[in-house]
Amino acid sequence: MRILKIALLNIIFYTLFITFTSIAIPFLGSLVVIFVLLFPKRLALRRLRRAISWYGAVIIRILPFPFVRLRVKDYSNNDVAGPYLFVCNHRAASDPFLLGVLPYECIQVANIWTFRLPVLGFVAKLAGYLSVREIPFEDFFKKTCGLLAEGVCIATFPEGTRSRDKSVGQFHGAIFRVALETKRPIVPICITGNESIPPVGSSILRPGLIKIHLLPAIIWEEYRDFSPFKLKNYVRDIIAKEVVLMDEGK
Amino acid sequence: MTEQDIIKMVNEVFADSFEIEKGKLKPEANIFNDLGLDSLDIVDLVVALQKKFGITIRSDERVRNIRTLGDIYQFILIIKKEIGK
Repeated sequence: MRILKIALLNIIFYTLFITFTSIAIPFLGSLVVIFVLLFPKRLALRRLRRAISWYGAVIIRILPFPFVRLRVKDYSNNDVAGPYLFVCNHRAASDPFLLGVLPYECIQVANIWTFRLPVLGFVAKLAGYLSVREIPFEDFFKKTCGLLAEGVCIATFPEGTRSRDKSVGQFHGAIFRVALETKRPIVPICITGNESIPPVGSSILRPGLIKIHLLPAIIWEEYRDFSPFKLKNYVRDIIAKEVVLMDEGK
Repeated sequence: MTEQDIIKMVNEVFADSFEIEKGKLKPEANIFNDLGLDSLDIVDLVVALQKKFGITIRSDERVRNIRTLGDIYQFILIIKKEIGK
């Protein structure tokens, strides 16, 4: 029965994924081109980034439903003004799509493989997504500070690679140095349940419940005296503790 | 300066600059996987070690081979011996 369910999920999902992508990308691309021609570049970029979020939300919320369900709990403090630095744990290739649930103009700091994806990689580059392994830290720092100054949120997966055993790996500190410089609020995001959607080294999706928890924003006043090392481990500990609770059923 | 002095001083750098608990400071601890330092932290570590020991190691290629805390103890010991010659 379970094998049948998995087969059905993958046949339906990948059929819809290819169909939807081949329609949505040219459609959204055309809209962006029209925006570029008619409106300032800043507005066109904003629309493109929101379009990517909508695309991601459809891919993860609608296409695999009801085999894969999504439950989002927002504990972040909405009174804290953005733009935010979203810091997420990383278990599966579906994580970047899951960030489509964020209702903000947002770019992601992604690994190099993201930019090698056909079509999607090009769109990500066009939207200003940053390939952390390809640019020196000084350039990364300058670009992220510039984006935050424009009001763009930044989402990162500071583990750098997908966890293979559900534990939260060591964090890279680049984004936390940006936080200390720009004084922006950090919002930890915990994602569980998608470690088999798909598992590392596979493209086969398994049915399941994906949980996303947006934790309370960590504001500048809270971390102003921290070193980059202390800050990254502070955030890592918060995420690691929540992830354990989520795995236990929270 | 004895090896024990060097171990003590290196551990002080880790405790002061990175607030790492002393219990984690074992010679076999991998500075990346176990202690959680990244490439940017290494720059801070090098600066702190230079200040603590009054040495210049920033452009020393051997820094790239350091993986464990024990490697740092040995590296500083070798540097100190080289300076003493």
